[in-house]
Amino acid sequence: MSLRRVFESQPHRRYIMFGGKGGLGKTTLSATAAFWLAGQGKRVLIFSVDPQASLSDIFQRDIFGKGPVPIVQNLWAEEVDADRRIREYQDEIRKKIRDMYGLDRVPEEIDNYIQAASAEPAMEESAIFDAVVDIIVKGDYDYYIYDLVPLGHALYYLSMAKVYDEWITKITKLREDMRQYDQMAATMRREKVLEEDQILNELIYIRDRINASSRILTDRAQTAFFFVVVPEEMIILDTKRAAELFARFDVPIAGYVVNRVLPRELIQASIPEYLRNRITMQDRYLKEITATFGSQILAYVPEMERDVTGLPMIERLAERLFGEASGPEGPEPAGGRGAP
Amino acid sequence: MTSRWGALRDLLYGMTGYEFARHAMQIRHELESVFMVVTMGDLIGVPVLPPYYSLRLLPYVVPQIETWKRHMVRRKELWEKPEYDLLEM
Ligand SMILES: Nc1ncnc2c1ncn2[C@@H]1O[C@H](COP(=O)(O)OP(=O)(O)OP(=O)(O)O)[C@@H](O)[C@H]1O
Ligand SMILES: [Mg+2]
Repeated sequence: MSLRRVFESQPHRRYIMFGGKGGLGKTTLSATAAFWLAGQGKRVLIFSVDPQASLSDIFQRDIFGKGPVPIVQNLWAEEVDADRRIREYQDEIRKKIRDMYGLDRVPEEIDNYIQAASAEPAMEESAIFDAVVDIIVKGDYDYYIYDLVPLGHALYYLSMAKVYDEWITKITKLREDMRQYDQMAATMRREKVLEEDQILNELIYIRDRINASSRILTDRAQTAFFFVVVPEEMIILDTKRAAELFARFDVPIAGYVVNRVLPRELIQASIPEYLRNRITMQDRYLKEITATFGSQILAYVPEMERDVTGLPMIERLAERLFGEASGPEGPEPAGGRGAP
Repeated sequence: MTSRWGALRDLLYGMTGYEFARHAMQIRHELESVFMVVTMGDLIGVPVLPPYYSLRLLPYVVPQIETWKRHMVRRKELWEKPEYDLLEM
């Protein structure tokens, strides 16, 4: 199967992630897939929580912290600015407190708490987490492409979803129990109406959103996670390990994409020695990759002559990746390199 | 409708209802303590709920925070009394 076939034959897999170690091409392939899908008439949002603003780099536009920014027809890109989100959130909370209690200003102790809580690293993590939940549960695009940060972080994020999910479910249950005792006491005192429990409502709201997003991201019918590998030493072993870990968190792995494959034809040309050596080396690792991942390999992506930035370059890569001759069955890689 | 329930309630309330209600409120009170720790634990240095969500609940517990914190501090003093300090023994 090719990457293109996966998209065409499994249209319900609308949540797309490319994962892998740092610098292997996750952002490049995410942007390329997003571009191609948009060209197929799908409404696509590519988003990232990476403070490095790598989408701004690849699309050569400043989109950081600006919400979904239109890139080409049907394609929007969004980079979440976590710090700004936290600042705005703090203000919302302060305003809510003032409004609820008719105060001119938030009591000092409470405000200190708001500030202290916001300075913690856990605040940034949970704010980012919530930003992703927010984007995912809205569901108004045909495709969501989540441009992940390197593996460790991605795994961390997905495990966090599980932990948050369990926590919020337990805390909501606790609150519901409290509510039952309130109810009991109220009945005994012949009080007919129990005031609505706003905290419980908030908890249910949070719980349902977290539940929904973690359900989506672990559902093979809706989500496709592609591993990016390159023909280099250590990558294969690392990727195998990561895949095992991911499987434990129910990450729906959809296949592997081999990036940065040097064109083999070069070997006939007069090329510098080091390049010849690299091609020979890649040959060895490509054999290993095919032996390890076999039919789960969906594409061999060529090494381009320079970094992939800007739309014309993305378009060219999309042609190579999704064109008729693409995919491991395609004439180029299968007849050339990497095939068993 | 009301009559049967009313009768039962009157019976319970009349006999043991008052105590029953008090008991329910007592449990409710203890759960409240647990709830405050798991949601606002940060305030006393025991972070449990991710802070982003903890802040979301904060406005609703503003009036409770003072008493609750005092309550927790009292407990802490109790445990920190020398006679309770196992390490010294
Ligand atoms: N097939 C390719 N041909 C040429 N350059 C490539 C190719 N794939 C990726 N690159 C380049 O490699 C660099 C790293 O790629 P990219 O940013 O996509 O990796 P990443 O996995 O997203 O990195 P990070 O882990 O830092 O997020 C970029 O400069 C990109 O242009
Ligand atoms: Mg990246």
